[in-house]
Amino acid sequence: MLRKHLKFFLHFDTSYKYHESENMTDDSKFTKTSENCGCLVEDLINTKKTDSRLCEVKPNDIEVFIDPDPEKTSYDFYIRRLTDGLPIIPPTKTRVMKFLNYTDRTPDEILTVLPPQQGKAVIEKIAVNSVMAGCLPQFMPIIQHTINAISIEKFNLTSINATTHPVGICMILNGPISNEIGASSSAGCLGPGNIANATIGRALRLCLINIAGAVPGVGDHATMGSPAKYSYTFAESESESPWEPLHVERGFEPFTSTTTVIAVEAPHNVNDHRSKHAEDLLETISYTLSTPGCNNSHVPGEILVIISPEHAQTIARDGWDKRDIKNYLHENSVVPVELGDRGGRKLDKKWIVGDDVHITRSPNDVVVVVAGGSGRHTMIAHSFGTSSESVTMPILYKDGTPVQSVQDFKTKIKK
Amino acid sequence: MNVKVIEKDLMDPLAEISEVNIDLNSIPHDFEYVTLLDNTKPGADVVLEFIEENLGNRKFNWVKKPAGAPATIKQLEIAAESEIVFLALGDCGSCSSWVILDAIRLEKMGIPTVSICSDRFSLFAHEFAKSHGAQKLKILSVEHPIAGISKEEIVKKTLEILPSLRYILQIP
Repeated sequence: MLRKHLKFFLHFDTSYKYHESENMTDDSKFTKTSENCGCLVEDLINTKKTDSRLCEVKPNDIEVFIDPDPEKTSYDFYIRRLTDGLPIIPPTKTRVMKFLNYTDRTPDEILTVLPPQQGKAVIEKIAVNSVMAGCLPQFMPIIQHTINAISIEKFNLTSINATTHPVGICMILNGPISNEIGASSSAGCLGPGNIANATIGRALRLCLINIAGAVPGVGDHATMGSPAKYSYTFAESESESPWEPLHVERGFEPFTSTTTVIAVEAPHNVNDHRSKHAEDLLETISYTLSTPGCNNSHVPGEILVIISPEHAQTIARDGWDKRDIKNYLHENSVVPVELGDRGGRKLDKKWIVGDDVHITRSPNDVVVVVAGGSGRHTMIAHSFGTSSESVTMPILYKDGTPVQSVQDFKTKIKK
Repeated sequence: MNVKVIEKDLMDPLAEISEVNIDLNSIPHDFEYVTLLDNTKPGADVVLEFIEENLGNRKFNWVKKPAGAPATIKQLEIAAESEIVFLALGDCGSCSSWVILDAIRLEKMGIPTVSICSDRFSLFAHEFAKSHGAQKLKILSVEHPIAGISKEEIVKKTLEILPSLRYILQIP
């Protein structure tokens, strides 16, 4: 029997469509009873009358598809340990498909394999977790390339995920795409308040939990964890910086968008409202950095220094550039050996100079960016130390050309 | 008219696990040359010294590697000159991970290994080894913690793994 079955898609799908049965034949000669019903006049004429005369073959005349309840979904996923503890957006196929419009990879493509559980980072799974995090679909290229970045060997995701140390993965966005998606580089850029900053880092964390298996207490052994593990993403304020931005310093063109991942602790503030000269201000910053008990004190490595535009102007006014900042902070950020050598790994003698340990191995370990709004503050963050190096990953199409705009995925990409 | 309300299906955020399998090496019935691979975690040297003292008259080679990071190729090559390698100590997430991964790297080089982790991290170590294709990697558990206690206390805790160690090595 000919049958057309009407389905309404509520919420995001306001249109309805017909579901064709397996025995469908040419139906152009048949007439629908109305715009709101899938039954055909011919069906009604030929069908034996019963109480449910409209659709005897199918158990339902109309199927109404609704979105899952977010509260129930969040609770179910939370109980299954699939979340960071916060409510999630239910990852329906409709929502996931929107994210897949912003990649030139196929949904089943494996980007990489993530430790500790060696989960396959498939494009579709990255999209599912990004939906859950509350991302907009346009954020997908950044999240996808960040997954690539953390899988680079020198980043040492194996240790970053499993360690007892409270290390988060900070993402620094550079280039035109960070502006296009509205990522914040200004007031409050470290949170709260901006959807890109809040959800991109969260998407990464959910990927770590659900793809890598970094479930707290199971694959993530952080003794206390850190608020920095929820989301730790901001854009560099390139227009406010007196110096070249991070991605240009690392060899990329200004118009190439990048995501930089660096494994660091939650940020620590440096409040200096009184220094009028570069050296005075950097002295305050170096004293804040010179802290026993951080990993850098026994396994020296990178540090992240996020300088506010006002502080940057104070430093630049004296003619100091980024190289000068790096040199000063490397030379002056030290801890006494006696206090430095109390960490998990035995302090290597090669890091000892006189009675001190430099918390960085060289000036190159000082990662300097400019961000933030008005105010005379800088943020510093100690890192995991020697065993993890930051990675800057360009946002590229599969053929290696830079992505100029996330909207190009909609017009240029043929899958 | 029958109307059925259906919730849209939810997509699964969990990843498939990469399937690999590593061939592990049998411990020889008799061995003369042993490497003790010390990741410099507090007490790792005490645990390995205890093992050295209880394995009888053999040749021992000490190699240090970084905790929470891979051993260098040179460190692994030196360790691989022996007939068996003992690795210590996994007593946190990152150091346990790299004790296991370095043990697997040595197993791939044809060298049998025994890894030592504290009991708070040995379950993770077993799961981690399994996810890297080495489900039957030999891992011994000492009571946590090893860091922050005296040498005598560490020795006392290590004494408890001696029967298991002898069983694995098939020595009296």
